[in-house]
Amino acid sequence: MAVSQEEHLRELSKGYRFDWKDQSNSVFEPKRGLSEAVVEEISSRKSEPDWMRKRRLKALKHFEQRPMPWWGADLSGIDFENIYYFIRSTEKQAQNWEDLPEDIRGTWDKLGIPEAEKKYLGGVSAQYESEVVYHKIKKELDDIGVLFTDMDSALRDYPDLVKEHFGTLIPANDNKFAALNTAVWSGGSFIYVPPGVHVDIPLQAYFRINAENMGQFERTLIIADEGSYVHYVEGCSAPIYTSDSLHSAVVEIKAMKGARVRYTTIQNWSTNVYNLVTKRAAAYEDAVMEWVDGNIGSKVTMKYPSIYLLGKGARGEVLSVAFAGKGMHTDAGGKAIHAAPYTTSVITSKSVSKDGGRTGYRGLVRVEPDAHHARSNVRCDALILDEESRSDTYPYIEVEDETAALGHEATVSKVGEDQLFYLMSRGLSEVEATAMIVNGFIEPITRELPMEYAVELNRLIELQMEGSVG
Amino acid sequence: MTPITFDEAAFELLPKTTEPMQRMRKQAFEEFRALPIPSQETEEWRYTDLSDFELSFEPHVPNVVRTTSGQDLDGLGVVFCDLDRAAESHADLVERHLQTLVPTDRTKFTALHGAFRTGGTFLFIPRDVRVKLPLQTLTYLEADGAAAFPHTLLIADEGADVTFIDRFASPDIARALSDAIVEIVVGDGAHVRYVSIQEWGSGVTHLGIQRARVGRDAEFRSLAIGFGASLARAEAETVLAGAGGFSEMLGVFFADGTQHFDHRSVQDHVAPNCSSDLLYKGALRDASRAVYSGWVHVRPGAQKTDAMQTSRNIVLSEHAKADAIPNLEIEANDVRCGHAASVGPVDEEAVFYLESRGIPRAEAERLFVTGFFQEVLDRVRLDEVRRNAELAIQEELAEPSTAGVR
Repeated sequence: MAVSQEEHLRELSKGYRFDWKDQSNSVFEPKRGLSEAVVEEISSRKSEPDWMRKRRLKALKHFEQRPMPWWGADLSGIDFENIYYFIRSTEKQAQNWEDLPEDIRGTWDKLGIPEAEKKYLGGVSAQYESEVVYHKIKKELDDIGVLFTDMDSALRDYPDLVKEHFGTLIPANDNKFAALNTAVWSGGSFIYVPPGVHVDIPLQAYFRINAENMGQFERTLIIADEGSYVHYVEGCSAPIYTSDSLHSAVVEIKAMKGARVRYTTIQNWSTNVYNLVTKRAAAYEDAVMEWVDGNIGSKVTMKYPSIYLLGKGARGEVLSVAFAGKGMHTDAGGKAIHAAPYTTSVITSKSVSKDGGRTGYRGLVRVEPDAHHARSNVRCDALILDEESRSDTYPYIEVEDETAALGHEATVSKVGEDQLFYLMSRGLSEVEATAMIVNGFIEPITRELPMEYAVELNRLIELQMEGSVG
Repeated sequence: MTPITFDEAAFELLPKTTEPMQRMRKQAFEEFRALPIPSQETEEWRYTDLSDFELSFEPHVPNVVRTTSGQDLDGLGVVFCDLDRAAESHADLVERHLQTLVPTDRTKFTALHGAFRTGGTFLFIPRDVRVKLPLQTLTYLEADGAAAFPHTLLIADEGADVTFIDRFASPDIARALSDAIVEIVVGDGAHVRYVSIQEWGSGVTHLGIQRARVGRDAEFRSLAIGFGASLARAEAETVLAGAGGFSEMLGVFFADGTQHFDHRSVQDHVAPNCSSDLLYKGALRDASRAVYSGWVHVRPGAQKTDAMQTSRNIVLSEHAKADAIPNLEIEANDVRCGHAASVGPVDEEAVFYLESRGIPRAEAERLFVTGFFQEVLDRVRLDEVRRNAELAIQEELAEPSTAGVR
């Protein structure tokens, strides 16, 4: 990064740089709280087919019946009755940034999305509150049959494809928050890549929460047909409020025979957002599924991207980086379920906690009976930057086949005094030196990101280092 | 004799003891009646199902043999005797320590233990006394349908030094319960080596908890050897309570047939500048199952902690299953903590190497497994214990398989 010392310090003093609020943009008066009526209203405003309406109502029942998870982070602060479950910000989805209301457009400009779209994206989906307000895919991709649209439109335009795959990897009663998402989902992305098609430039979705006490429940479904390739990138942010918001997404991915899907997340919610997300992918014969999961923000994150290796020779990789500062608890990780022979998985997790923040790795590697010759390696490293902070590692290894070879390793440490001394003796301040060491520590993750996101992640880490004393 | 279900009548029949012990017993009995059988719904019992476990056994006192290696313990002021006798002769020490490290209300089984235990071993080493040769308690059970409540309370005063071996053995029987508790207090600067050898026969359900509290600059080394029982749940916990303490926990197990092992460990760093090292190695064959779950806790303020936790499992047959869950919870920053766990078959390359030198496959596998365990056994300083473990491993390897050994 070619940033001068001066610029660098200016950046450092800014703090969370996504903290701005637009005027209320709802096209109708939003209501707080959850009920059958709310679910019915969401469904009817979207003019959905009846099967979806029924599925939503059934999921609501599951949600109501399921207890809150007893494990993981403290979720007692979530007030389900105080959340807005659906806010529509614009009457019509735009295909040109100019068509958006001025302050919403301003938000996207500040986030740099239109500029990024021009430079290096194959398609962009921009979700504001409950719905995608801007959507566009490059004509070249459209021409070769790549489908990239928001989930609401997909249900309307490709009903058979959606019905065939929706909720097959993550059923409504999978867990309490998957049930909630299924009941009130809105927005999210739908991607279909035809056989043999390689989408060389990333497709991106950006999720923005603007309102206080917003609940955002996007639903994403990606199908990469045989031998295809796609890289999907998502980012998110929200203004800082004194009371809490809830983001609870469900993401389902199918990598068919020989396909490769890479899903990159740069999660940077403000520290009043509960981020409780279920992400699951199925990898069929010789397919490759990669989750690159960066968690920098939020009040609480519970997210464990999973890969079900269902076909012979399938490969899965989870790269997870987590950062927790003051008042934050990031409980992240990954899961690999080996259900076919000769499958391999690698999970790499790097976490940094400071100012009383708490990071956790929670993961599962499971080898089913007859998934012979499975190989898996899990590596977790944690840095704890001060006395108040905390790091936990909860890895589960379950093996039901004798030919499987699984390994797990983890270390927890602080920033090395000798490394700090070396850098400071070269004239760097302690904050800068620490930021540099932390950036080096997470480098195995950032090197897997597209250039622009790597820069973004490094910058976020530096911002978070403000006031750190290692 | 008619089976007892640990009811009021059975409780009233227990031999009377001192007033304070009687009170502790009574309280444990109340707890036993109030607590449920641990459920698999809880994380602690997720891998062991006791939901159908019937609490109906014959009242039985196991044979207990204490050996002193011919040392004159009285002359040193060492107390090594029956726990109930110590409750009278050393009431003060027993009342101060008994059931403080493992409280009776921890589970239904610790409460049951607290209520129905008779006998057990009390060992006290006075300040700065060094017991040169190992002391041992053998707890032997042979009655079918018996329930035994072995208890060891070991107190090493400041600067004391002792090696103690707890051995549990029985023939194969139809059904028995071993509900065991070991409490070890390692005083400041003391050195304690504790070995448990679990050789229960098949039919025995063994539920054991061992917990040690390690004082300032003290050293605790434990070795757990587990070959026996149909179902063995063995929890080993060390609390590093004083600065500069050290704990080593070694484990060796070999499961065969349909044996179920649930091994749990805790390395709890409360004080700063302590180190702990855990290494558990196990082999599984036939349709056996082993779970290792371990915890390293580093409490706030336990700076300069150095903790390592390693679990290695070798799976020798198609129907054997191994799970490993090594957990870390770190609340201090100036620490070095790590863990490693692995589950895998014999290394084909190593076996190929041996075969290429003319060693038959079965023998090559046996050599490989022997070598696998050697890493732990090399750290065992008691020759006799090490030799016995080596022999037991060879015996396990020589046994014909009950389900497709590869």
